[in-house]
Amino acid sequence: MQNRILLVEDDQAIADAVALNLKIVGYDYARFDDGQAAADSLTEDHAFDLALLDIMLPGMDGFELLSYMKKYGIPVIYMTAKADAASEIKGLLDGAEDYVIKPFDMMALMVRMEKVLARTGRLNRIYRAGDVELDDYKHLVYKAGVPVELSPLEYAVLLYLMKHKNLTVAREQLLSEVWGFEYMGESRSVDVKISTLRRKLGLGDAIKTVQKLGYRLEDR
Amino acid sequence: MKLRHKISLLAGGILLLVLLVCAGVLLLYARKTILALAEDQARDKQSALAASFSSMARYYAVPEDSDAARESLIRYCFSRFADQEGVLMRGNETLCSSVAVDPSLYAVPDREDSRTAVYRGLVDGRQLLIVSSLEYVQADTLYVGLVRDITEVYDAIGRLTRLFLGVCAAGVVLGMGLLFLAVKRSTEPLSRLTAATGEIADGAYDKRVIVSGRDEVGDLGQSFNRMAEAVENKIADLTEQNERQRLFIGGVSHEFKTPLAAVRLHGDLLQNAKLSEAERADSLQHIRRAGAYMTSMTQSLMELLLLDQAIEREETDPAALLSTVAEVAHDSLAARGVTLVTECETAPPLPLNPTLMTSLLLNLVENAARSYDAEDENKTVTLRAYGRCFEVADRGRGIPTEAQEHIFEPFYRVDKSRSRKQGGSGLGLALVKAIADAHGASLSLDSQPGRGTTFQVTF
Repeated sequence: MQNRILLVEDDQAIADAVALNLKIVGYDYARFDDGQAAADSLTEDHAFDLALLDIMLPGMDGFELLSYMKKYGIPVIYMTAKADAASEIKGLLDGAEDYVIKPFDMMALMVRMEKVLARTGRLNRIYRAGDVELDDYKHLVYKAGVPVELSPLEYAVLLYLMKHKNLTVAREQLLSEVWGFEYMGESRSVDVKISTLRRKLGLGDAIKTVQKLGYRLEDR
Repeated sequence: MKLRHKISLLAGGILLLVLLVCAGVLLLYARKTILALAEDQARDKQSALAASFSSMARYYAVPEDSDAARESLIRYCFSRFADQEGVLMRGNETLCSSVAVDPSLYAVPDREDSRTAVYRGLVDGRQLLIVSSLEYVQADTLYVGLVRDITEVYDAIGRLTRLFLGVCAAGVVLGMGLLFLAVKRSTEPLSRLTAATGEIADGAYDKRVIVSGRDEVGDLGQSFNRMAEAVENKIADLTEQNERQRLFIGGVSHEFKTPLAAVRLHGDLLQNAKLSEAERADSLQHIRRAGAYMTSMTQSLMELLLLDQAIEREETDPAALLSTVAEVAHDSLAARGVTLVTECETAPPLPLNPTLMTSLLLNLVENAARSYDAEDENKTVTLRAYGRCFEVADRGRGIPTEAQEHIFEPFYRVDKSRSRKQGGSGLGLALVKAIADAHGASLSLDSQPGRGTTFQVTF
């Protein structure tokens, strides 16, 4: 089951960007541009794993909205242009899980989201791309329902690509996130793992090489 | 060295000098007078002695007398008149004397003329005054002298001198003490002034001195207080201006954050994500819009900054101004389905900056156009000029009463999200206010929520 995110942001451009990002990496979401409307909708539908809230919102501001989220046990990450420490402290003390300041980096926001979801025990650890499924609970990978044997490094690379589905992942990023340290000048080992994955899982087309940047696991 | 010490020392020195000169002159004069008096007395006595003695001796003396007889006569006659000061000599032979000195060594009368000789001086440790003359009795030339011990007179003069010097010294000490106090008292305001200046220099701009007296120091104190007040006001102005600018810059950077966030997020998407053609186009559109928004905001900011300088004015016909505004505003109003009605009653030419006033009226017109929702009907904005007044009126949603006092503040928005969607920079009305202020024109608004708003600019 996909994680479901509540997005409340009144700026069209930012809401569009965040929503598109959520969609392509495989989150389900509902979005509102008005605080009151978001609060009202919760009585009908409150099956959200996480809420991304702006603070300065028409209708009802993000701080007020937090109490509604608490009522339904939805963890909250604020994303706001209010960079002052007082607002951040207030937000966190009131019970928000995290606080990101605009302009923010989407990759960073997604890492924070994942951390919050994992911390609150809501993270969906089953990832799919095409006919490949990765079950992070059991550490198993299936190709069209058939288990495939992967080395721990191959598994970790695949997991990272799955988490950032449809987004370009830089080689350096993979090195530092999967290998866990700066693997200077050894980006060749990334290429080796990628080609193994392509071969073992038949992902030759799905894992795209993005010139000069890295790789992208495409599934749309 | 402090000024009061300098003044006191200088004045004390002058006082000492003057007193010494005065005392010296007085002393010399007194000494001369006393000695002259003593000499006159001695002369009188000697001449009386000489005259009495010689006339008596001459009266009784006869040429036939033997030398011994004549000598005893002379001695007798002299002793009749002389006291212990008298001395009678014949040649080097002392005939009659009760003093220890030989006066003929000091006071030597001239044989040629008959004047008396006077000697005054120190003899054997005593101050002596010796007066002598020569008297002739028969064949004898007799030396008649008067030897007077005037040591006491000199002692008296010495005592007088010491007294004078003592009085002088006391006068100088007392005078300097009084002077010091007086100088200290009159320079005290200067010390206070110095202390106050120090405090002001350290940042206590509300510090003032207590001004007393109407002399130069009092004047200085008053001028100083005026200066301190001017400085305080200026500092307060600058502080306030600084605070306003700080808030303004804070507002500006805050305003830029949202479009920047949009640019960054969509830029990342375009670079990294697999997007459909429609999604790509959307993202690009968002980036373009954020860019346009930031451009219009920087333009408004530049205009606002330039308004700090003095503006150039020219006599402008309001009717021409209105038609310019109508022409420029036409396209954007038409896109919103808003009709602009201009009315120009016989208005006199006004001294204004046409470019800035066009910008002001355009902003008001745009603002009025945004007061309508897309679904409203009969969307009209009226732009009027009459007398020395411009008026922009709409029948849109109006401005809530509590928002009316903030409406001209930079980045204030009655409805943040709607304003942004409609492309408002949050600076339009702030610019309107700044332009009106630069012209010295008054700006007022009359708004009823739900019924519309009228802005007036009056010259």
